[in-house]
Amino acid sequence: MSNTNQFADQHVGDQLSGFIDGELTQQQRQFVTLHCEVCADCQENLERLRALRERIGNAGLSEVGEDKWRETMNDPTVELTRGIGWLLFIVGMLIIAGIGLVGFLFSDGISVGMKLLMFAIYGGLATLFFSVLRQRLIERKTDKYKDVEV
Amino acid sequence: MKKPKMQQQLIQLGNGAHALATQMLGNGDDAADAVHDSFVKVFKKPEAYDENKGPLTPWFLRVVRNQCLDLIRRRRPTEDTIDELSDSAPGPEASLEIIQRDQELRNALSTLSSAQREIIVLRDYMDLSYAEIASVLEIAQGTVMSRLHRARMALKEVIESHE
Repeated sequence: MSNTNQFADQHVGDQLSGFIDGELTQQQRQFVTLHCEVCADCQENLERLRALRERIGNAGLSEVGEDKWRETMNDPTVELTRGIGWLLFIVGMLIIAGIGLVGFLFSDGISVGMKLLMFAIYGGLATLFFSVLRQRLIERKTDKYKDVEV
Repeated sequence: MKKPKMQQQLIQLGNGAHALATQMLGNGDDAADAVHDSFVKVFKKPEAYDENKGPLTPWFLRVVRNQCLDLIRRRRPTEDTIDELSDSAPGPEASLEIIQRDQELRNALSTLSSAQREIIVLRDYMDLSYAEIASVLEIAQGTVMSRLHRARMALKEVIESHE
């Protein structure tokens, strides 16, 4: 059997893809090259697969663009700084409000009626705050992506 | 890895990850959400990536893939993604011919199995090596070439049958 017949005898199959992708050993590459020289079917397949690969590489399979991802990327930072900002603001306000409230409640110059009125206003604000907090905690618990492992 | 460097690499990976997610989920909007959520997950816990265990690209694509699989699991079993996949349109800046060719390609891809679409996007669109593909798909490296070849041949046949 001549060398030419030896290479023509068996189609190279999967190795065509490995050849296009540069993932074969030198020996395998040489075999595919020699086979394609004598096998019109594999040569044609090789050219079509190459064209297909190029077509996919140039296709617009995603049209989003880097700017969108850059914006998206900033989201976690924004969320974190926003969270810290709110936390500091709330803690500061609670301390000031607490000091003010203690001073207010123990002040002799203010009537009981006024004290009750102010208590109602602060109590209302506190109720609203805990209502929002509760809602946030529920949202966090039902986050549909939380189970995905990084 | 320092955060700015990681951010820059992930921004460059965005489109590829989006293409992969689109092929898995069937539409661009869900895919964008999946990529966005993957970014959020990564930056909540950046130390989860260990540079010594391999490059960032396959690791991040694995995060995106897990995110997509999680979304798919949560979907109702009757939900069909194939029609949506073939309907996703490119941006307005592309010429009509390119739009048509890309649409044909998307239609052809939509006839393949999800596993075949994934491997084609990873290799031919994102240009990942076989070792990286094996890492993303969590399969043996030796399986990549045969699976990829079958996927390409299936896609070639679909495209040729429409020409």
